Amino acid sequence: MTAPLPTLLVIPTGIGCSIGGYAGDGLPVARLLAAASSCVITHPNVMNGAALYWSDSRIHYVEGSGLDRFAAGRLALRPVRSQRIGLLFDAGIEPELQRRHLQVADGCRATLGLDIGPVVSTEVALDVSLEQGPSGASWGRLGQPEALLRAGERLKKAGATAIAVVSRFPEDPESESLAAYRSGGGVDVLAGAEAVISHLLCEQLGIPCAHAPALSPLPLNPELDPRAAGEELGTTFLPCVLVGLSRAPDLLAWPSSGNAATPELLRPDDVGAVVAPAGALGGSAVLSCAERGVPVIAVENPCVLQVSAAALGLEVLPATNYTDAAGLVMALREGVAPRSLIRPLSILAPNQEA
Amino acid sequence: MKPSLANTKSETAAMKLVALELRLTRKPGSLLSQVEVALADQGRPLRWAITAVSGEELQIEAVVVQESP
Repeated sequence: MTAPLPTLLVIPTGIGCSIGGYAGDGLPVARLLAAASSCVITHPNVMNGAALYWSDSRIHYVEGSGLDRFAAGRLALRPVRSQRIGLLFDAGIEPELQRRHLQVADGCRATLGLDIGPVVSTEVALDVSLEQGPSGASWGRLGQPEALLRAGERLKKAGATAIAVVSRFPEDPESESLAAYRSGGGVDVLAGAEAVISHLLCEQLGIPCAHAPALSPLPLNPELDPRAAGEELGTTFLPCVLVGLSRAPDLLAWPSSGNAATPELLRPDDVGAVVAPAGALGGSAVLSCAERGVPVIAVENPCVLQVSAAALGLEVLPATNYTDAAGLVMALREGVAPRSLIRPLSILAPNQEA
Repeated sequence: MKPSLANTKSETAAMKLVALELRLTRKPGSLLSQVEVALADQGRPLRWAITAVSGEELQIEAVVVQESP
């Protein structure tokens, strides 16, 4: 049997990707690439469908900043049987909404067998704000980052090996951006702030972390786009985060002689391909891979950015869609030169160095 | 992170998250290193992306962490 080809799947959050810009609607792509490669490393934006999720031992759930450091050769990943998930609540969440989240966690313990707890709340409200950059990408910040980190440290000291953080997000049910998102357009305006929160926590604590926003339920929308539907099936966005973290790999500083011989370890040098939207190639993970000589498969997946291979001067393998990308992953895995699959096939010259 | 909000920050904490928009003229060599060096002048990069390219000029949007000594 051909060895797995560890493949990074990157669909940046908050840039309105046609596939993967909504409620975990990149998940079918992850499943397809897992079949093609037998090993996908991807981030919560791809996998998180609020009440919907998928667990596959071939898909490794790694928070975005961890994925960036893995791609840069500064982390290795160690698969685990399970994580003990600490729950971190923003003090700004109303008691009834917090109780809803606790019941989700209880449901995941009782029905899925997940190991959840301890539970802590921040001393003060985190004060999350949502913003959009000049490009249209969503960003955001929190006013009390130290309160977040202190709560995370408390969880880690209490034995948590991964952290699910739930913070109260500002909401405007009448906003144009929300209406556009629910009808399958625009960007996910929550996503940028979510990424900032989980990046901060993950970088500081060095354990798997992921975020769910706490929001009031929305009124029924009969025209709801299927890609956004996962977020309207329940009262929280938490189930997918708990399932994803339950088997998220440990993050190990790399290079490390202490762990180098561990057979199941996923090492940065093992990565055989990175798959990313063709217009969003200007992020850390893709650039790290490109500069390390890892093949970059650039997939047509429209978004608000137009940062292409041509604009950046990168050499990539173009794919018109994700089924095409899966074929390229299979070719790389089998050792078939992708160039040999394209016609016309140029004639080799006597002195041809490229 | 609207253009008018560049370098806005929370006022209450010793650690601040700062939203930035940078423009960088690309030079030969590692693109990643050039971006990281430009961001490091502003703080510890938390999340960033090149969000537009015009010739050799890059637009970068980012959130960095700034900590008081």
